[in-house]
Amino acid sequence: MIQVTRRELLKGAAALGAAATAPGALTPARAQTTQKRELVVAQGGDISKFDPHFSTSSNDIRVSFNLFDNLVSRHPDGKLHPGLATEWKLHGQTQWTFRVRPGVKWHNGDPFTAADAKWSLERTWDPKVGTRVSTVFTTIDRIEAPDPATLVVHTKKPDPLLPARLAFYGGQIVPQKYVEKAGNDEFNAKPIGTGPVRFVSWTKDDRLVLEANPDYWGGRIDVDRIVLRSIPETAPRIASLLKGEVDVITQLPPDQEERVMGNASTKVEGALYAGLYVLAVNGKRPPLDNPLVKQALSLAIDRQAIVKELWRGRGIVPNGPIAKGDNHFDAKLGPLVYNPGEARERLRKGGYRGEEIVIETTVGYTANDKPMSEAIQGMWRDVGINAKVEVLEYSVRAQKNRDKSFKGLWWSDPTSTLGDPDGMMWRLLSPGGPQDYWRHPRFDELGEAARFSVDEKFRAEAYREMTKIFLEHFPWVPVIQPYEDYGLQKYVEWTPNPNQQFEVRRFNLKLRRA
Amino acid sequence: MRGVFRFLAPRLLRALIAVWLVSTVVFVVMRLSGDPVPLLLPPDAPRSEIFRVRRELGLDRPLPAQYGVFLANALRGDFGRSIHFREPAFAVVRGYLGATVELGLTAFLLAAIVAVPVGLLSAVKRNSPIDHVAMGLALVGQSAPTFFLGILGILLLALKADLFPTGGRGDWTHLALPALTLGAFAMASIARVTRSAVLEVLRADYIRTARAKGVAEWLVVVKHTLKNAALPIVTITGLQFGTLLGGAVVTETVFAWPGIGRLAIQSIYNRDYPVVQCAVFLSAIVFIMINFAIDLLYGVLDPRARP
Repeated sequence: MIQVTRRELLKGAAALGAAATAPGALTPARAQTTQKRELVVAQGGDISKFDPHFSTSSNDIRVSFNLFDNLVSRHPDGKLHPGLATEWKLHGQTQWTFRVRPGVKWHNGDPFTAADAKWSLERTWDPKVGTRVSTVFTTIDRIEAPDPATLVVHTKKPDPLLPARLAFYGGQIVPQKYVEKAGNDEFNAKPIGTGPVRFVSWTKDDRLVLEANPDYWGGRIDVDRIVLRSIPETAPRIASLLKGEVDVITQLPPDQEERVMGNASTKVEGALYAGLYVLAVNGKRPPLDNPLVKQALSLAIDRQAIVKELWRGRGIVPNGPIAKGDNHFDAKLGPLVYNPGEARERLRKGGYRGEEIVIETTVGYTANDKPMSEAIQGMWRDVGINAKVEVLEYSVRAQKNRDKSFKGLWWSDPTSTLGDPDGMMWRLLSPGGPQDYWRHPRFDELGEAARFSVDEKFRAEAYREMTKIFLEHFPWVPVIQPYEDYGLQKYVEWTPNPNQQFEVRRFNLKLRRA
Repeated sequence: MRGVFRFLAPRLLRALIAVWLVSTVVFVVMRLSGDPVPLLLPPDAPRSEIFRVRRELGLDRPLPAQYGVFLANALRGDFGRSIHFREPAFAVVRGYLGATVELGLTAFLLAAIVAVPVGLLSAVKRNSPIDHVAMGLALVGQSAPTFFLGILGILLLALKADLFPTGGRGDWTHLALPALTLGAFAMASIARVTRSAVLEVLRADYIRTARAKGVAEWLVVVKHTLKNAALPIVTITGLQFGTLLGGAVVTETVFAWPGIGRLAIQSIYNRDYPVVQCAVFLSAIVFIMINFAIDLLYGVLDPRARP
């Protein structure tokens, strides 16, 4: 209750500020060029760890993917590009050979070799190290580094997504010699990588200072230093951007965009989120075990209105379980339909008798979760569904997630970690997966087969059929694929990455200078 | 000597019991509030992985055993390792302490230095425009929530008037807005209490006597009145220090100030038991020490309270 009041008041305060900074009130249009050699970035939370194998949180990822390199790199265009590996090839079904980039040095001057890559990947699942990414490379059987420039990875079964796995968390390559000598704690405190920036200093919850790696194989980045600040509240984070204290802010909510765009010296850049916001469904609880009822739930949601009103247009309506931008996204399939009449009809056919259907929502765990819950509750009531919204605290949600004890529907923001349905729909909805609340033999058979097939045509067919089954049974009710927006000074030329990486390499970051 | 001991001993004992109670309550509440492990691992981590990490952090042991370990270690100043930062909890908290002390003391001094003269002036010039303006402002300071004042300050004084930075820690300009915001409530409370305490004393017989014998008005106010009104002022000032510690949580978050309040909140969200325990433990000790100091100050100010 307190939180609601607080948020509303914050909004009020923000509006007041907007009035105070109406165009013209602020310093007249700052030049759209700069002399700065330093980029200051403000994010909503601080870093927790530098050892990339001990964290998967987005605040940490923004840093670790720049301190370290992966063998394969996923660029903001969503495609895989060479990283520490210059090329890779699949031999037969299960043997991948990577050519390792020559002449790369760690930040302390040691040479990087294939042996580092082998050791680094093996470290992720080493029980003695106990990393937080021990399940990322479960498909790997063994790794060989026959010479400093060659890495051979054998998978247990065919794994079409190995390069994609290597491009995301867990795949950051850490220095064997330094970590073995310094120990894990010292490495975490003074990280050394091969990436475009080097670690300088960190004052917790205040600022992290990184400097350009002058010898970076991908070219020296466009600034000398990058400073990361953590500004948890939205209104002050935006104020710091408008005032010119910072160059980039993350997590810009849709209802605040006008302020950033209305200001002469700042702009907004967004990337379509690599994933979906869905209401996950506990399909074991009646009446949610009834496909007709779940179809009605989906049909009764006016997603266009949600996108327009709650997201100010910053999102798209999904067409199924696969996010736009992923492999096998079917562009020919239309967006999910709003048809309240048909929803009523299916409720009737399904024999729905007014059983209570609960949405368990957090406040701000995913953007707009509570407002969307309330809107959807209203839409469902309009077609005769006895809908109820219950509010959960974050950790209670985490607990319920672990115990698989949600009552009805709850918000989930599945991230597509691999740019492929396997890394999203199948990772979460597969038997034993974190959202295993519904089973369908054919769906399971196809998901398993697609996971272990290197035949993309077969996989495309499998995912098409899985989508069909999905749209009949709705283990998730997809609601929106939102944009993730950033506020920038106009002199910053930078493209956001859909999967929350923060790419500062030369090809993606440039300050327009006078 | 014996008297001093009889005065100090029960107070010290009370302080120790309070520290023990606070740390026990925090220990229990944190464990009731949920498991940190699901927050540490990716959402698709298998159960076996969750059990492994629980074991690694000692969270698989029975609660009384965990409590025993916690108490024994806390007595030696060891609060365990932060789950979130993978560093000793005490070292983590110590890193944030300086910022909070800097902010808290500035806010506190600012509050006291502004509030006492204002309260005094209000009382002396009772029902004058000065009194009305001062008490009106005090009402705002006491009733406006800290986060609201903070954001208002950022928007008006930092963004519009361009007087201060919007947040972060640095030189005194960074300190000004958060200290004012944090000190506002204390300032208002102290000013109001000062005013009423002084008004009370001004009606006393000995003041009339002092005036009757021709003592200068300023001497009447400063020497005769203020000294006798000091007891409630000191009490409220001491209590306000406690609310400052509480208010720091919000102020530090709004101003991105890297202090212990923000650390505590973040650690609660992260279920970082060791850090929360250590931060609360240290805050409780500070609060209890301040109360202890005020108890002692009573004795100095009021002979009746002396042992």
